[in-house]
Amino acid sequence: MIHALYSIAFIIVAVAMPLVAEGQIYLTFDGSVKFRSDAPLELITAASDQLRGALDTEKRTFAFSVEMNTFEGFNSPLQREHFNENYLESSKYPKATFTGKIIEDLDLTQPGTYEVRAKGNLSIHGISRERIIKSQVKVDQNGLHIQSYFTVLLEEHDINIPKIVYQKIAEEIEVWITASLKRK
Amino acid sequence: MSGKNLTAALMINLACLMLTAQTPWFRYYSLEKHFPGAIPKIVYQDPLGPLWVGSSQGLFLFDGERFEHYEHPAATSHTVTAIFRDHTDLLWVGFSDGGIYHLSGKQLLPWQPEEGLPKVAITGFVEDDVGKLWFSTYGEGLFYRDGVRLYNINSDDGLLANDIYTMAVDKRGRVWVGTDGGINICQANKEQKRISSLRVKDGLPDEIVKCLLPDSKGNMWIGMYDKGACRYLIDEEKFSYPVQGWQYGEVNSLTLFEDLDLWMGTNGHGLVRYIFEENRLEQVPGWENEKVVALLKDVEGNLWAIGNGKNLAIANRQFEFLALKGTDVQAICQDKAGRYWVGTKDGLFELIKDNNKAWSLAPALPQKANVISLYCDNYSNIWAGTFDKGLYCLNPMSGKLQHLDESDGLTNNNVLSIAGMDNKLWLATLGGVNELSFDETPFDGAQLTIKNYNHESGLGTNFIYKVFVDSQKRIWFGTDGNGLSVLDNGIIKNYPFATVLNPITDSLEQIRLHAVYSIVEDKKGRIWFSTDRTGIFAFDGSQFKHLSLKEGISELNISALAATPTGDVLIVHSQGIDLLNPETGHLIYYKESTGTSNLDAHLNAICNGRENSVWIGGKEKIVRFVSLKEKLEIHPRIRLTGVSVFLQPIDFRNTHSFSYQQNNLIFSYLGLWYTDPTSVKYRYKLQGYDLDWRESQDRQAVYSNLQPGKYTFLVTGTENEAWSDEPIVRYEFEIRKPFWQCWWFIAFALLAVTGLIYLYVRFRDRRIQRVNLLEKEMISSQLNALKAQINPHFLFNSFNTLVTIIEEDAAMAVEYVEKLSDFYRSILLLRDREVITIEEETALLKNYYYLLQKRFGDNLQLDIQLNGEPGYVVPMTLQVLLENAVKHNVISKSKPLRVCVEKLDDGYIRVSNNIQPKTNREPSTGFGLQSIEKRYKLLANKPVRVHSGMEAFSIDIPVLESVANENDDADRPPT
Repeated sequence: MIHALYSIAFIIVAVAMPLVAEGQIYLTFDGSVKFRSDAPLELITAASDQLRGALDTEKRTFAFSVEMNTFEGFNSPLQREHFNENYLESSKYPKATFTGKIIEDLDLTQPGTYEVRAKGNLSIHGISRERIIKSQVKVDQNGLHIQSYFTVLLEEHDINIPKIVYQKIAEEIEVWITASLKRK
Repeated sequence: MSGKNLTAALMINLACLMLTAQTPWFRYYSLEKHFPGAIPKIVYQDPLGPLWVGSSQGLFLFDGERFEHYEHPAATSHTVTAIFRDHTDLLWVGFSDGGIYHLSGKQLLPWQPEEGLPKVAITGFVEDDVGKLWFSTYGEGLFYRDGVRLYNINSDDGLLANDIYTMAVDKRGRVWVGTDGGINICQANKEQKRISSLRVKDGLPDEIVKCLLPDSKGNMWIGMYDKGACRYLIDEEKFSYPVQGWQYGEVNSLTLFEDLDLWMGTNGHGLVRYIFEENRLEQVPGWENEKVVALLKDVEGNLWAIGNGKNLAIANRQFEFLALKGTDVQAICQDKAGRYWVGTKDGLFELIKDNNKAWSLAPALPQKANVISLYCDNYSNIWAGTFDKGLYCLNPMSGKLQHLDESDGLTNNNVLSIAGMDNKLWLATLGGVNELSFDETPFDGAQLTIKNYNHESGLGTNFIYKVFVDSQKRIWFGTDGNGLSVLDNGIIKNYPFATVLNPITDSLEQIRLHAVYSIVEDKKGRIWFSTDRTGIFAFDGSQFKHLSLKEGISELNISALAATPTGDVLIVHSQGIDLLNPETGHLIYYKESTGTSNLDAHLNAICNGRENSVWIGGKEKIVRFVSLKEKLEIHPRIRLTGVSVFLQPIDFRNTHSFSYQQNNLIFSYLGLWYTDPTSVKYRYKLQGYDLDWRESQDRQAVYSNLQPGKYTFLVTGTENEAWSDEPIVRYEFEIRKPFWQCWWFIAFALLAVTGLIYLYVRFRDRRIQRVNLLEKEMISSQLNALKAQINPHFLFNSFNTLVTIIEEDAAMAVEYVEKLSDFYRSILLLRDREVITIEEETALLKNYYYLLQKRFGDNLQLDIQLNGEPGYVVPMTLQVLLENAVKHNVISKSKPLRVCVEKLDDGYIRVSNNIQPKTNREPSTGFGLQSIEKRYKLLANKPVRVHSGMEAFSIDIPVLESVANENDDADRPPT
């Protein structure tokens, strides 16, 4: 728990530091990340509800982060172990992050539903890739509600799958994000 | 010889004529007329040929006559802002709301990348050197597609501004974008982005860059908001500023004709062009207040422009027109200094272009003269030939003027044509040819000698229309009525006839030449000349080649020929201008659609000018023809647009095979020739069906009820009906045979029939064999039975029995004899038959038993357990078995023989007896078990079973179910 708090603090500092103190910052600590690998021989899904993130509506910048070892729901405990140890090397690269800026010049403090594109760097397995991720943002009095879907190519993040399990893990992993961010 | 100094005072009495600037001739198309509310915004010619127009109401394909609307599913915007055909032939269309579609068939399908699409206008598409697609937006910067991902470059990455007006690719494959803050030059590989910039501090005149245009040398032209246009030299990495003194505001669009002019579409000041040769800006007349939003150069050399008031306009850049109100140009020439001189019925004028844009005609002769021929010599003297007044010679530098007429030694005062070389001049007059020689210049007291060539010197006639000096210093004359003549090394040769090879009859023909009006020389040294009524000829010194209507010359009323600097021959006639390629014979017509139709050009009012130009004088106008540096298309671009089977469009690019039922095909095609769209004609042929080409003006060909086979549909389009070297579009396909006509089916069917016949024959053979065998066996069994029955033992025994009975009981003896007789009759009756019923056999057996019983008494016991069983047996089977039992066993009171006949459940009759073998065997008759077995083998499927135990012996005879008694006919009752 202490560790988690530190990482949140890090994100907030990293993202919000350059901003003015009274910047419109929205936070989440319990966003959900779900992924699905649909390979010919096996369907794997797993999810984490410990997505943490921050978004500055004034600067339209954001940062999201999830610890790799918080993913649950594999087909077997062994699979989860493989996921963490062999493929994503979670001890070496504990987090996946996405930081950047929203392309659209929108005022996200106004209630409504917006389709936005977030341009930023997606870092998984220690490899950072520039990505544009399309998301739906609903703004109401409770804050921002984000939903997005995107794909991750294992090759793009140097995640090597041994030949033997190739048919069990898809080369393209589908990812869904759902998060509600509240005003700081 | 009278020389006069020309003074300004003398010129006052002749007014200076003002003319408008030379301008291409535009024709206009209105998209709004066809689709109300559709305002054209952009125009794009895709590499496949069609011209696409993006409008406020979506995408249109313009074929030169019609606008075809391409629907796209409900979207927030219908305003097309970008069109692009990529290297995979996919057409991309961008809209003002950020939507991107691509064309599939006749439908625009939305492009839906995972990353989402911009929400601002798409302002351009390009492909870089490695084929990556880029698109620019007005508000979100630049996007590019690499692999499956879409990447963005915006101000966070170093872009000068996110509002991009324009995009272009340079010769190094770098993407240039024009923004409000200057130019960015971008390269990218995955997310690695390299962005450099060109800004005001780097020498860019204006930071707002509205359009970019790469030229053929790889340099980039830049159109700006306020400062006109400039050029960036990529190799030198520096700007150059040829366009000076810009005062026409915002540049919306650029297009360039190599080394000729740069066209700029402005925002309210119309079309402005920068002319390279003259280093001058010029506003195109008639367009002054237009907002020109788009410009395009097409592959035929046409300039396209979209203006707010003019809609869609097209002009052929090769032709420019100078209007001369009230003046008909009879002769035109350009002197060494580049000045143009025009001869009219009123005199000689200089064509002056002032510093602005207007042309004027300045009179150069002090008195009225009907100037019909002009020549500019190497000393910048202007020689003007007149009707009736002889020859004038003007030196514009010194103002000196000389006049020569019959009084000075000319043979005639009508000078129709002048040609010269070095210090010599030849005049074509109505009194032969005058050769003028002068030492230095004709002025300054130099001696002029005149030599005459006429009928007496060998010319066919004294009426000479045209004189021409070729590159080999031969002097050619076009005569009136006596064809072509040539003066070569002082020898005159006349060609009143042209000997040409008739390609159809393959024989030489002589064509009378009559009048020869115009003579030129092509790049290969051939002399081309036009005649008054038989078209044009080429002469290479030994052979003539004839081109007439059949070869595609559009009109025989030819007023002038000119050789263009690029090697073509320009034919000016009463309907317009034909451009002939002397090598291929290909002709392009320029008529109404290029504004060249009613020139009324005067005979030989033509000259070659600077900048690859040819000047043609006509009625109230001068036409300037320019050979473009660009490689132009000379044929309509023909392509197959669709194939339908029973009116149903199919994916013809991937379908080349049809079933025998799909035999009704429609081929649609389109030939694009924007220079003169209505002139396109087609011809098509279905190889495998048509024997010859079919000509048509329709854009589709219908074929119904095609037989199975291989076909190739060929279609070609022409704009000049010459049908010489037009490219042919082909579509190969096959209509498959129905399966019953396929070789494999026929082969299979043949095989099956042969097999069936073979089986039948074999079956029949075997049956015949079996019948034969049966017959043979029957004969042998009959014989054996007969033999057996007349076995002397049997008879002897029977008679012995009879003897005993006769004495004891006469009545029984009679009965016995009767039974014996019955038995033998039965044998005779039944022996011919194949089978008999069990009942008949039982009767026979009982009869036989009666006979035996009389001999053996109760020592022989027969137990027949058959009660009218259905079925058949072989005749005398049971009798023979009983006989066998009696024959092989001891029968005595102490050892009675019991024979039992019974029906078994499995369709057999069992004959069994107890075994008590005799010590001395009776000799075998040979007829017995073996014969029975054989006959049953032929008649029944079941075998005869023999069980031979210690105590009992039994034989099972199969019951024959239902055997048709085939030998009924042979079954005759015994007599």
